[in-house]
Amino acid sequence: MSKELEHAFVTELECNQNVVHKVCTLYTNDRDAHNDLFQEITIQLWKAYPKFRGDAKFSTWMYRVALNTAITLYRKSKKNVKTLDYETVFFKIKADEYDPTEEQQLSLMYKAIKQLNDIDKALVFLYLEDKNYNEISETLGISEVNARVKMNRIKSKLKTILNP
Amino acid sequence: MDDLELLKKDWQKKEINHPKLSYNDIHGMLWKKSSSIVKWILIISIMEILLPQVVYLFPSFWSSDGMLFYNNLGLTSPLLFLSVIYYGVVLYFILQFYKRYKEISVLDNAKNLMSKIIKTRKTVKNYVFFSLSMILLFFMTVVFYIYIDDDFIKTIELSAKDISEISKEKLENIKLLSMVIFTTVGVLFTLLVGFIYFLLYGLLLKKLNRNYKELRRLEV
Repeated sequence: MSKELEHAFVTELECNQNVVHKVCTLYTNDRDAHNDLFQEITIQLWKAYPKFRGDAKFSTWMYRVALNTAITLYRKSKKNVKTLDYETVFFKIKADEYDPTEEQQLSLMYKAIKQLNDIDKALVFLYLEDKNYNEISETLGISEVNARVKMNRIKSKLKTILNP
Repeated sequence: MDDLELLKKDWQKKEINHPKLSYNDIHGMLWKKSSSIVKWILIISIMEILLPQVVYLFPSFWSSDGMLFYNNLGLTSPLLFLSVIYYGVVLYFILQFYKRYKEISVLDNAKNLMSKIIKTRKTVKNYVFFSLSMILLFFMTVVFYIYIDDDFIKTIELSAKDISEISKEKLENIKLLSMVIFTTVGVLFTLLVGFIYFLLYGLLLKKLNRNYKELRRLEV
Protein backbone atom coordinates (compact mmCIF):
# COMPACT_ATOMS: atom_id res chain seq x y z
CA MET A 1 0.00 0.00 0.00
CA SER A 2 1.26 3.39 -0.90
CA LYS A 3 2.73 5.98 1.42
CA GLU A 4 -0.05 8.44 0.58
CA LEU A 5 -2.73 6.00 1.59
CA GLU A 6 -0.86 5.34 4.80
CA HIS A 7 -0.56 9.03 5.52
CA ALA A 8 -4.23 9.70 4.74
CA PHE A 9 -5.32 6.88 6.99
CA VAL A 10 -3.19 7.82 9.98
CA THR A 11 -4.23 11.46 9.72
CA GLU A 12 -7.93 10.53 9.62
CA LEU A 13 -7.60 8.17 12.53
CA GLU A 14 -5.62 10.66 14.55
CA CYS A 15 -8.44 13.18 14.17
CA ASN A 16 -11.18 10.67 14.91
CA GLN A 17 -9.46 8.63 17.60
CA ASN A 18 -11.93 9.71 20.24
CA VAL A 19 -14.56 7.36 18.78
CA VAL A 20 -12.20 4.40 19.07
CA HIS A 21 -11.20 5.39 22.60
CA LYS A 22 -14.85 5.51 23.57
CA VAL A 23 -15.42 2.00 22.27
CA CYS A 24 -12.31 0.77 24.08
CA THR A 25 -13.41 2.37 27.33
CA LEU A 26 -16.79 0.67 27.10
CA TYR A 27 -15.39 -2.76 26.40
CA THR A 28 -12.28 -2.92 28.56
CA ASN A 29 -11.48 -2.40 32.20
CA ASP A 30 -7.84 -1.45 32.40
CA ARG A 31 -5.37 0.58 30.46
CA ASP A 32 -3.47 -2.37 28.99
CA ALA A 33 -6.63 -3.93 27.62
CA HIS A 34 -7.72 -0.52 26.35
CA ASN A 35 -4.49 -0.09 24.40
CA ASP A 36 -4.63 -3.65 23.16
CA LEU A 37 -8.14 -3.24 21.80
CA PHE A 38 -7.25 0.14 20.33
CA GLN A 39 -4.42 -1.49 18.45
CA GLU A 40 -6.57 -4.33 17.15
CA ILE A 41 -9.21 -1.87 15.95
CA THR A 42 -6.49 0.16 14.22
CA ILE A 43 -5.20 -2.96 12.46
CA GLN A 44 -8.70 -3.93 11.34
CA LEU A 45 -9.43 -0.37 10.15
CA TRP A 46 -6.19 -0.29 8.24
CA LYS A 47 -6.81 -3.66 6.60
CA ALA A 48 -10.26 -2.52 5.51
CA TYR A 49 -9.16 0.99 4.53
CA PRO A 50 -8.58 0.23 0.82
CA LYS A 51 -12.30 -0.58 0.64
CA PHE A 52 -13.23 2.78 2.15
CA ARG A 53 -14.46 4.81 -0.81
CA GLY A 54 -15.15 8.06 0.89
CA ASP A 55 -18.88 7.81 0.15
CA ALA A 56 -19.50 7.84 3.88
CA LYS A 57 -17.79 9.93 6.51
CA PHE A 58 -14.65 8.34 7.86
CA SER A 59 -16.05 8.45 11.40
CA THR A 60 -19.27 6.71 10.33
CA TRP A 61 -17.31 4.00 8.62
CA MET A 62 -15.22 3.59 11.77
CA TYR A 63 -18.19 2.74 13.99
CA ARG A 64 -18.87 -0.52 12.26
CA VAL A 65 -15.27 -1.72 12.18
CA ALA A 66 -14.61 -0.64 15.76
CA LEU A 67 -17.74 -2.30 17.13
CA ASN A 68 -17.25 -5.46 15.07
CA THR A 69 -13.75 -5.74 16.42
CA ALA A 70 -14.84 -5.19 20.01
CA ILE A 71 -17.83 -7.54 19.90
CA THR A 72 -16.63 -10.25 17.58
CA LEU A 73 -13.00 -10.27 16.60
CA TYR A 74 -11.29 -9.23 19.80
CA ARG A 75 -10.24 -12.40 21.51
CA LYS A 76 -9.03 -11.56 24.95
CA SER A 77 -11.60 -11.98 27.66
CA LYS A 78 -12.47 -9.10 29.86
CA LYS A 79 -11.58 -9.05 33.48
CA ASN A 80 -14.42 -9.16 35.91
CA VAL A 81 -16.20 -5.83 36.09
CA LYS A 82 -16.59 -6.14 39.85
CA THR A 83 -12.86 -5.98 40.44
CA LEU A 84 -12.67 -2.74 38.51
CA ASP A 85 -10.96 0.13 40.21
CA TYR A 86 -9.56 1.91 37.20
CA GLU A 87 -11.47 4.76 35.65
CA THR A 88 -14.66 4.59 37.61
CA VAL A 89 -15.08 8.02 36.15
CA PHE A 90 -14.99 7.78 32.39
CA PHE A 91 -14.09 11.27 31.48
CA LYS A 92 -11.87 14.11 32.45
CA ILE A 93 -13.79 16.42 34.69
CA LYS A 94 -13.29 20.02 33.80
CA ALA A 95 -13.03 22.11 36.96
CA ASP A 96 -15.23 24.96 35.77
CA GLU A 97 -18.24 22.85 34.98
CA TYR A 98 -18.02 20.56 37.94
CA ASP A 99 -21.43 19.90 39.42
CA PRO A 100 -21.15 17.28 42.17
CA THR A 101 -24.70 15.90 42.01
CA GLU A 102 -24.87 15.73 38.24
CA GLU A 103 -21.36 14.38 38.00
CA GLN A 104 -22.17 11.70 40.53
CA GLN A 105 -25.33 10.72 38.72
CA LEU A 106 -23.49 10.46 35.41
CA SER A 107 -20.71 8.47 36.97
CA LEU A 108 -23.26 5.97 38.27
CA MET A 109 -24.82 5.74 34.81
CA TYR A 110 -21.47 4.98 33.23
CA LYS A 111 -20.83 2.30 35.80
CA ALA A 112 -24.23 0.78 35.09
CA ILE A 113 -23.53 0.72 31.35
CA LYS A 114 -20.30 -1.15 31.93
CA GLN A 115 -22.29 -3.94 33.53
CA LEU A 116 -24.34 -4.54 30.38
CA ASN A 117 -23.53 -7.34 27.96
CA ASP A 118 -21.51 -6.73 24.77
CA ILE A 119 -24.51 -6.32 22.48
CA ASP A 120 -26.36 -3.98 24.83
CA LYS A 121 -23.23 -1.87 25.13
CA ALA A 122 -23.06 -1.58 21.36
CA LEU A 123 -26.65 -0.33 21.23
CA VAL A 124 -26.05 2.17 24.02
CA PHE A 125 -22.86 3.35 22.35
CA LEU A 126 -24.57 4.02 19.04
CA TYR A 127 -27.46 5.66 20.86
CA LEU A 128 -25.14 7.96 22.77
CA GLU A 129 -23.36 8.78 19.54
CA ASP A 130 -26.75 10.00 18.33
CA LYS A 131 -27.18 7.39 15.63
CA ASN A 132 -30.74 6.80 14.51
CA TYR A 133 -32.42 3.40 14.72
CA ASN A 134 -31.89 2.78 11.04
CA GLU A 135 -28.14 3.09 11.47
CA ILE A 136 -28.18 1.03 14.65
CA SER A 137 -30.10 -1.76 12.96
CA GLU A 138 -27.78 -1.76 9.97
CA THR A 139 -24.64 -1.82 12.08
CA LEU A 140 -25.82 -4.73 14.19
CA GLY A 141 -27.77 -6.63 11.56
CA ILE A 142 -31.08 -6.61 13.39
CA SER A 143 -34.37 -5.07 12.31
CA GLU A 144 -35.20 -1.49 13.19
CA VAL A 145 -38.21 -2.54 15.25
CA ASN A 146 -36.08 -4.94 17.24
CA ALA A 147 -33.46 -2.26 17.78
CA ARG A 148 -36.14 -0.04 19.32
CA VAL A 149 -37.54 -2.83 21.47
CA LYS A 150 -34.07 -3.74 22.61
CA MET A 151 -33.20 -0.14 23.44
CA ASN A 152 -36.31 0.18 25.61
CA ARG A 153 -35.37 -2.99 27.42
CA ILE A 154 -31.89 -1.65 28.02
CA LYS A 155 -33.33 1.54 29.45
CA SER A 156 -35.34 -0.39 31.98
CA LYS A 157 -32.38 -2.65 32.66
CA LEU A 158 -30.31 0.43 33.47
CA LYS A 159 -33.04 1.74 35.73
CA THR A 160 -33.01 -1.53 37.65
CA ILE A 161 -29.25 -1.39 38.05
CA LEU A 162 -29.41 2.21 39.25
CA ASN A 163 -32.38 1.79 41.58
CA PRO A 164 -32.20 -1.73 42.89
CA MET B 1 -36.20 13.40 32.22
CA ASP B 2 -34.73 10.36 30.57
CA ASP B 3 -31.41 9.53 32.23
CA LEU B 4 -29.94 8.42 28.95
CA GLU B 5 -30.76 11.75 27.32
CA LEU B 6 -28.78 13.52 30.00
CA LEU B 7 -25.96 11.09 29.48
CA LYS B 8 -26.04 11.61 25.73
CA LYS B 9 -25.34 15.30 26.12
CA ASP B 10 -22.52 14.61 28.50
CA TRP B 11 -21.10 11.85 26.33
CA GLN B 12 -20.85 13.99 23.26
CA LYS B 13 -19.23 17.01 24.79
CA LYS B 14 -16.58 15.20 26.78
CA GLU B 15 -13.18 13.86 25.94
CA ILE B 16 -12.34 10.37 26.97
CA ASN B 17 -10.01 9.96 29.93
CA HIS B 18 -7.13 8.53 27.96
CA PRO B 19 -3.94 10.08 26.63
CA LYS B 20 -4.38 11.19 23.04
CA LEU B 21 -2.29 9.15 20.64
CA SER B 22 0.08 10.92 18.30
CA TYR B 23 0.46 10.39 14.58
CA ASN B 24 3.53 8.27 15.23
CA ASP B 25 1.78 6.17 17.87
CA ILE B 26 -0.94 5.28 15.39
CA HIS B 27 1.47 4.80 12.54
CA GLY B 28 3.42 2.31 14.63
CA MET B 29 0.28 0.22 15.14
CA LEU B 30 -0.38 -0.35 11.45
CA TRP B 31 2.13 -3.12 11.08
CA LYS B 32 1.56 -4.86 14.38
CA LYS B 33 0.22 -8.39 14.24
CA SER B 34 -3.50 -8.83 14.58
CA SER B 35 -4.70 -11.18 17.31
CA SER B 36 -8.28 -11.41 16.06
CA ILE B 37 -10.13 -14.69 16.39
CA VAL B 38 -10.42 -14.94 12.61
CA LYS B 39 -6.65 -15.12 12.45
CA TRP B 40 -6.58 -17.74 15.18
CA ILE B 41 -9.18 -19.81 13.39
CA LEU B 42 -7.02 -19.72 10.27
CA ILE B 43 -3.87 -20.78 12.15
CA ILE B 44 -5.62 -23.56 14.05
CA SER B 45 -7.39 -24.76 10.92
CA ILE B 46 -4.16 -25.06 8.99
CA MET B 47 -2.71 -27.05 11.87
CA GLU B 48 -5.78 -29.25 11.93
CA ILE B 49 -5.53 -29.93 8.25
CA LEU B 50 -1.84 -30.79 8.49
CA LEU B 51 -1.91 -32.85 11.69
CA PRO B 52 -4.11 -35.74 10.53
CA GLN B 53 -2.02 -35.94 7.35
CA VAL B 54 1.04 -36.66 9.43
CA VAL B 55 -0.76 -39.28 11.48
CA TYR B 56 -2.44 -40.77 8.45
CA LEU B 57 0.83 -41.08 6.59
CA PHE B 58 2.46 -42.68 9.58
CA PRO B 59 2.46 -46.26 8.29
CA SER B 60 4.61 -45.23 5.36
CA PHE B 61 7.07 -43.49 7.66
CA TRP B 62 7.55 -46.67 9.60
CA SER B 63 10.33 -49.11 8.89
CA SER B 64 10.05 -51.31 5.85
CA ASP B 65 9.10 -54.08 8.26
CA GLY B 66 6.06 -52.02 9.16
CA MET B 67 5.05 -51.68 5.55
CA LEU B 68 5.58 -55.38 5.04
CA PHE B 69 3.29 -55.99 7.97
CA TYR B 70 0.52 -54.12 6.17
CA ASN B 71 1.30 -55.80 2.86
CA ASN B 72 1.19 -59.20 4.41
CA LEU B 73 -2.14 -58.44 5.98
CA GLY B 74 -3.41 -57.69 2.46
CA LEU B 75 -4.07 -54.10 3.47
CA THR B 76 -2.40 -52.37 0.55
CA SER B 77 -5.47 -51.98 -1.63
CA PRO B 78 -7.87 -51.06 1.19
CA LEU B 79 -5.40 -48.41 2.37
CA LEU B 80 -5.02 -47.04 -1.12
CA PHE B 81 -8.79 -46.97 -1.50
CA LEU B 82 -9.17 -45.13 1.82
CA SER B 83 -6.46 -42.67 0.84
CA VAL B 84 -8.12 -41.74 -2.44
CA ILE B 85 -11.46 -41.05 -0.75
CA TYR B 86 -9.75 -39.28 2.11
CA TYR B 87 -7.76 -36.84 0.00
CA GLY B 88 -10.70 -36.15 -2.26
CA VAL B 89 -12.78 -35.11 0.71
CA VAL B 90 -9.90 -33.16 2.29
CA LEU B 91 -9.55 -31.16 -0.91
CA TYR B 92 -13.26 -30.39 -0.84
CA PHE B 93 -12.99 -29.17 2.76
CA ILE B 94 -9.98 -26.98 2.00
CA LEU B 95 -11.77 -25.33 -0.91
CA GLN B 96 -14.91 -24.77 1.12
CA PHE B 97 -12.91 -23.39 4.03
CA TYR B 98 -11.06 -20.99 1.76
CA LYS B 99 -14.30 -19.77 0.19
CA ARG B 100 -15.97 -19.14 3.53
CA TYR B 101 -12.87 -17.61 5.07
CA LYS B 102 -12.70 -15.13 2.21
CA GLU B 103 -16.29 -14.09 2.84
CA ILE B 104 -15.51 -12.86 6.34
CA SER B 105 -15.42 -9.09 6.28
CA VAL B 106 -15.12 -6.64 9.13
CA LEU B 107 -17.32 -4.26 7.10
CA ASP B 108 -20.31 -6.58 7.35
CA ASN B 109 -22.93 -5.96 10.00
CA ALA B 110 -22.27 -7.61 13.36
CA LYS B 111 -24.73 -10.44 12.89
CA ASN B 112 -23.53 -11.42 9.42
CA LEU B 113 -19.94 -11.23 10.52
CA MET B 114 -20.57 -13.59 13.41
CA SER B 115 -22.63 -15.95 11.31
CA LYS B 116 -19.89 -16.16 8.67
CA ILE B 117 -17.22 -16.86 11.25
CA ILE B 118 -19.38 -19.60 12.75
CA LYS B 119 -19.97 -21.10 9.29
CA THR B 120 -16.25 -21.12 8.56
CA ARG B 121 -15.61 -22.84 11.83
CA LYS B 122 -18.32 -25.38 11.07
CA THR B 123 -16.45 -26.38 7.94
CA VAL B 124 -13.42 -27.10 10.10
CA LYS B 125 -15.57 -28.93 12.60
CA ASN B 126 -16.97 -31.19 9.89
CA TYR B 127 -13.50 -31.75 8.58
CA VAL B 128 -12.23 -32.77 12.00
CA PHE B 129 -15.16 -35.15 12.48
CA PHE B 130 -14.39 -36.66 9.13
CA SER B 131 -10.66 -36.98 9.83
CA LEU B 132 -11.23 -38.56 13.19
CA SER B 133 -13.66 -41.05 11.67
CA MET B 134 -11.11 -41.90 9.00
CA ILE B 135 -8.40 -42.47 11.59
CA LEU B 136 -10.74 -44.66 13.57
CA LEU B 137 -11.71 -46.48 10.38
CA PHE B 138 -8.04 -47.04 9.62
CA PHE B 139 -7.43 -48.67 12.98
CA MET B 140 -10.59 -50.73 12.68
CA THR B 141 -9.58 -51.91 9.22
CA VAL B 142 -6.25 -53.11 10.58
CA VAL B 143 -8.03 -54.92 13.40
CA PHE B 144 -10.42 -56.54 10.94
CA TYR B 145 -7.61 -57.73 8.70
CA ILE B 146 -5.74 -59.16 11.64
CA TYR B 147 -8.91 -60.98 12.59
CA ILE B 148 -9.41 -62.57 9.16
CA ASP B 149 -5.71 -63.34 8.72
CA ASP B 150 -5.38 -67.11 9.00
CA ASP B 151 -1.65 -67.05 8.70
CA PHE B 152 -0.89 -64.41 11.29
CA ILE B 153 2.36 -66.15 12.30
CA LYS B 154 3.77 -65.50 8.86
CA THR B 155 2.70 -61.89 9.03
CA ILE B 156 4.44 -61.08 12.28
CA GLU B 157 7.44 -63.25 11.45
CA LEU B 158 8.60 -60.49 9.16
CA SER B 159 8.28 -57.92 11.88
CA ALA B 160 10.06 -60.03 14.46
CA LYS B 161 12.28 -62.40 12.60
CA ASP B 162 13.37 -64.72 15.38
CA ILE B 163 9.96 -66.28 15.93
CA SER B 164 10.32 -69.95 15.19
CA GLU B 165 8.04 -72.26 17.05
CA ILE B 166 4.87 -70.88 18.50
CA SER B 167 2.00 -72.98 19.68
CA LYS B 168 -1.40 -72.43 18.18
CA GLU B 169 -2.72 -71.22 21.51
CA LYS B 170 0.01 -68.67 21.87
CA LEU B 171 -0.60 -67.47 18.34
CA GLU B 172 -4.26 -66.87 19.10
CA ASN B 173 -3.21 -64.86 22.14
CA ILE B 174 -0.80 -62.73 20.12
CA LYS B 175 -3.49 -62.14 17.54
CA LEU B 176 -5.98 -61.12 20.18
CA LEU B 177 -3.46 -58.88 21.89
CA SER B 178 -2.63 -57.11 18.61
CA MET B 179 -6.31 -56.49 17.98
CA VAL B 180 -6.80 -55.11 21.47
CA ILE B 181 -3.77 -52.83 21.14
CA PHE B 182 -4.89 -51.45 17.79
CA THR B 183 -8.43 -50.87 19.03
CA THR B 184 -7.29 -49.17 22.23
CA VAL B 185 -4.78 -46.91 20.50
CA GLY B 186 -7.32 -46.01 17.82
CA VAL B 187 -10.09 -45.13 20.26
CA LEU B 188 -7.82 -43.28 22.70
CA PHE B 189 -6.22 -41.27 19.96
CA THR B 190 -9.58 -40.27 18.51
CA LEU B 191 -10.92 -39.26 21.90
CA LEU B 192 -7.80 -37.29 22.78
CA VAL B 193 -7.72 -35.30 19.55
CA GLY B 194 -11.47 -34.72 19.77
CA PHE B 195 -11.16 -33.47 23.33
CA ILE B 196 -8.29 -31.07 22.55
CA TYR B 197 -10.20 -29.79 19.57
CA PHE B 198 -13.39 -29.01 21.44
CA LEU B 199 -11.52 -27.43 24.32
CA LEU B 200 -9.60 -25.18 21.95
CA TYR B 201 -12.61 -23.93 20.04
CA GLY B 202 -14.77 -23.80 23.11
CA LEU B 203 -12.40 -21.31 24.70
CA LEU B 204 -11.71 -19.38 21.52
CA LEU B 205 -15.31 -18.87 20.50
CA LYS B 206 -17.00 -18.59 23.88
CA LYS B 207 -17.51 -14.85 23.60
CA LEU B 208 -18.53 -14.92 19.95
CA ASN B 209 -21.11 -17.64 20.52
CA ARG B 210 -22.56 -15.75 23.46
CA ASN B 211 -22.89 -12.52 21.50
CA TYR B 212 -24.29 -14.29 18.46
CA LYS B 213 -26.94 -15.96 20.59
CA GLU B 214 -27.83 -12.58 22.08
CA LEU B 215 -28.34 -11.08 18.62
CA ARG B 216 -30.28 -14.08 17.39
CA ARG B 217 -32.50 -13.99 20.46
CA LEU B 218 -33.67 -10.54 19.38
CA GLU B 219 -34.94 -11.82 16.08
CA VAL B 220 -37.23 -14.50 17.49
